[in-house]
Amino acid sequence: MQQNYDVVIIGGGVVGSAIARELSRYRLRIAVLEKESDVCTQTSGRNTGMLHAGFLYKTGTLKAICAVEGNQEFDQVAAELDIPFKRTGKLIVGFTDEDRQRLENFKARGEANGVKGLEIIDRKRMDELDPSAGGNFAMWCPASGILDPFLYTIALAENAVHNGVEYHLNCAFTGETRQADGTHLLHTTQGDVSTRWVVNSAGLNSAVVSEQLGIPGYVIKPVKGEYFVLDKLAGQYAKIPVYPAPNPDNTFDTHATPTVDGNVLVGPDSQLARDFQDYESTQAAMDGLIESGSRMFKHMDRSYFIRNFAGIRPKRIDPETGVVQDFVLECRDEVPGVVNLVGIESPGLTSALPLARRAVALIAQREVLTPNPNFDPVRHGIRRFADMSDEERAQAIAENPDYGEIYCRCEKVTRAEILQAIHNPLGVHTVNGVKVRTRATMGRCQGGYCETRITEALHQELGEAFARIDLGPQGSWMFTGSVKGGDQA
Amino acid sequence: MTRTFTCIICPNGCEITAQYEGTRVDAIEGATCPKGADYVRQELTDPRRNIATSILVEGGELPLVSVRLDKPIPKKDIFRVMEAINQLKVTAPTVIGQVVLPDVCGLGANVIITKNVAAL
Amino acid sequence: MNVERHQAVVVGGGPAGLAAAIQLREKGIDDVVILEREHRTGGILRQCIHDGFGLTRFGETLSGPEYAQRFVDRAEELGIPCLTDTTVLTLEADRTLTASGPAGLRKIQGDAVILTMGCRERTRGALAIPGSRPAGIYTAGVAQEYINLRNLMVGREVVILGSGDIGLIMARRMTLEGAHVKGVYEVQPYPSGLPRNIEQCLNDYNIPLHLSHTVTDIHGRERLEGVTISQVDEHFRPIPGTEERVDCDTLILSVGLIPAGDIANGSGLAVDGRTKGAFVDEHYQTNLPGVFSAGNVLHVHDLVDFVSLEAEALAAAAAEYLKQGSLPPCPLEVKAGKNVGHVIPQRISGKRGFTLSLRVRQPMKKVTLTVTQNGREVLRRKFPKALPAEMIQLAVAAEKLETTGDLEVSVE
Repeated sequence: MQQNYDVVIIGGGVVGSAIARELSRYRLRIAVLEKESDVCTQTSGRNTGMLHAGFLYKTGTLKAICAVEGNQEFDQVAAELDIPFKRTGKLIVGFTDEDRQRLENFKARGEANGVKGLEIIDRKRMDELDPSAGGNFAMWCPASGILDPFLYTIALAENAVHNGVEYHLNCAFTGETRQADGTHLLHTTQGDVSTRWVVNSAGLNSAVVSEQLGIPGYVIKPVKGEYFVLDKLAGQYAKIPVYPAPNPDNTFDTHATPTVDGNVLVGPDSQLARDFQDYESTQAAMDGLIESGSRMFKHMDRSYFIRNFAGIRPKRIDPETGVVQDFVLECRDEVPGVVNLVGIESPGLTSALPLARRAVALIAQREVLTPNPNFDPVRHGIRRFADMSDEERAQAIAENPDYGEIYCRCEKVTRAEILQAIHNPLGVHTVNGVKVRTRATMGRCQGGYCETRITEALHQELGEAFARIDLGPQGSWMFTGSVKGGDQA
Repeated sequence: MTRTFTCIICPNGCEITAQYEGTRVDAIEGATCPKGADYVRQELTDPRRNIATSILVEGGELPLVSVRLDKPIPKKDIFRVMEAINQLKVTAPTVIGQVVLPDVCGLGANVIITKNVAAL
Repeated sequence: MNVERHQAVVVGGGPAGLAAAIQLREKGIDDVVILEREHRTGGILRQCIHDGFGLTRFGETLSGPEYAQRFVDRAEELGIPCLTDTTVLTLEADRTLTASGPAGLRKIQGDAVILTMGCRERTRGALAIPGSRPAGIYTAGVAQEYINLRNLMVGREVVILGSGDIGLIMARRMTLEGAHVKGVYEVQPYPSGLPRNIEQCLNDYNIPLHLSHTVTDIHGRERLEGVTISQVDEHFRPIPGTEERVDCDTLILSVGLIPAGDIANGSGLAVDGRTKGAFVDEHYQTNLPGVFSAGNVLHVHDLVDFVSLEAEALAAAAAEYLKQGSLPPCPLEVKAGKNVGHVIPQRISGKRGFTLSLRVRQPMKKVTLTVTQNGREVLRRKFPKALPAEMIQLAVAAEKLETTGDLEVSVE
């Protein structure tokens, strides 16, 4: 690792990667420390993939301002970063008079926040929009959209790398020593680095990191939400996200959301996590999702289940009252050289770039930043065979025969895409790294056909011994070695 | 003595109840073919099994080639035979039926190749 | 894009596809082509290296690769073109297939299209097993491919969930290769694999089988560290207080097979919710004219011998279809009656004899199988036992059938 940076960002989630990308517009030596083996393994990758509109949050809060701003610019962002995105709109459905009143209130709040196009609609209009949606009436929010949270985070990170940012994976921040010249000596599991600026975008660990950097007092409550992923055969019935009317505390119950790839997510529920790594699915929560999900989505059927997962929202709470607080984005004079982001939860995905620009502005208020003349905002993703027309497919195979070799049957992912994913700009070398970049193993057979091919390709392309191939995090080994000896394992 | 056997000779898997004294079978019930009685007698005197595994193949389009025994061996010798097979290695191409180890462990059974693996 | 045309296009070069293609040629259909996504034909048999195949078809007991090679050799003798490294992406109702391979994208239309794609394994996600998601959880078939084809050992301390045949076979395979298989857990009160596999794969190696037990939690963040096992009641609900933690680094799932007919999604092919395969008539013809289906993509078999025989019966009918331009209509329904899980075929003509395949819903002893039509017994057969693990197949003679009235199959 290089020893001196202008800015070191702790946490390579969607917010850290957005900050890295926005900072790379300037002439700075920037590094991102990510404790996991990839950039989207925690909160950034474990969510609904919703581009929020911003009607839910109290007017004037960072959550409201950043969500509205992030929502409105996202068509351009998606185009620049070459990521799948659909502005589907969203239905927030109600059953009772009380629900109707709450929806009216949110419509008024949304309008105050600057959300455009909100309407209360009747069942007839709902049937035109999405007959599979439950409920008697709804608020229609045309600005909402769906995106792939893995690819959005990866795209930000890859664009940052393209513009000179260094990513250090499997590199956990363990503490800080303030040096005599005011710079920070950061201790990590891969050695020490010194830097003039530190950005805390540590997500679930943001309160801990904040304290380590000299800003104590924040309290983060880990709130777990579990999901079911449904087969694309169910996806044909889900055109637009359908949410229940928000609860009095402004949280949503279980909802059914089509994904940008055509699956359906049912969830999340809301439960206090045991700790910040508690991603276990529980029988009680699954039973609850089946029951509540069926009210939102008429095709919630066991035969469509393909996977479960859980995510954790880092909710910053008032330690006295327990009430959930706004995002923290600050740079305190008494703790110079630290940009501190705490409690970035939903709508964090939507707010990532607006937060990043504000983080950059905090630095720019304190020193003159010189634009990077070579900054290129455009990132190119892996071209997907599944998204091509027949003519495009024929052309792609003619140019590169690997585009003809199907590795993942369910999601129609080719060897060409797998190889590009293995040689990704961030240097992620895991099976899950290939998965989130290509969708291989995400289909109904869950890797039954392609996983053996992916591990073989990782071995071939990287020269990695099979026993050293990880499924995801460091230590998630897949093989003990060979069965009969020989040299390959 | 009475004992119930699951015949493994064919997929029918007959449940055979046998009355026996030592190795002498007195009565048999449940077998749908004559092989059932033979199986029970064999199980009482000298239970035998075939085993299948793989061995390393060099220069082949696969790293392994499958093998099996051409006749069953005493059940108690299975792991001894596995150890002997684990030492084997062949060079591609391989041909089904090829004997890679005759008379494994002196038990009268040959280890034979069960897959054609082409050379690279 | 150009559309290639053939008399018969067979999708999948496993045991069903090879048998169908060979039989089509032997019935006088000259223009038969097989599309195979792997580099070699033989299908899943390539990794089924244990013996026990072929007793019905060849009268001797063979390993999977040997069984497959007999068909591969015959197909080569007949000069049947086999396009390997060619994955079919979609089937359309007009029998046009779109296929992809390193050689290019191609559209192929058959006067007859034979669907013989086999099946895939049910996954952890489909079962929705609670717990964490570490490495070390493999379906039995994936573990089998790693161990038998790729020389890769997947773990040391093993728990197997489900007593399907592949799981039982893998219990023995992993034991022979030095792993410690701690137990097989089956949610049903009876095993789902064949009795002889319980005997020779578990009992021979002192591997315990725990019926009415399932995995209710999975532990470990990076690699699997253990599972929680619970006993279940008659509704398969875990019984509180019976939880027991079993430490292991590997969990093998053998919890069911599902026909892999995915390419036909969107073609209008009608699928039976019970088999998850196509609805077929006595000619193995689906609701799409000229599209036929047999083997594990139609309904999951327990023996490959019956897959081959079924594919050969399909080929005989498809050859007639190709020569005559049509087959007798099949308006009569075959219904699954008491204790019967599903039947194949689901429709018949009433004019010809046919092979009836079925599975019972639960294990029974000393049963009588009856087929009735218009309140009259068409067939009656006694069996000493009937197990869901064992497919029952029998011939129904033409002379017993009437040309009107649905059939009902029951087992009591």
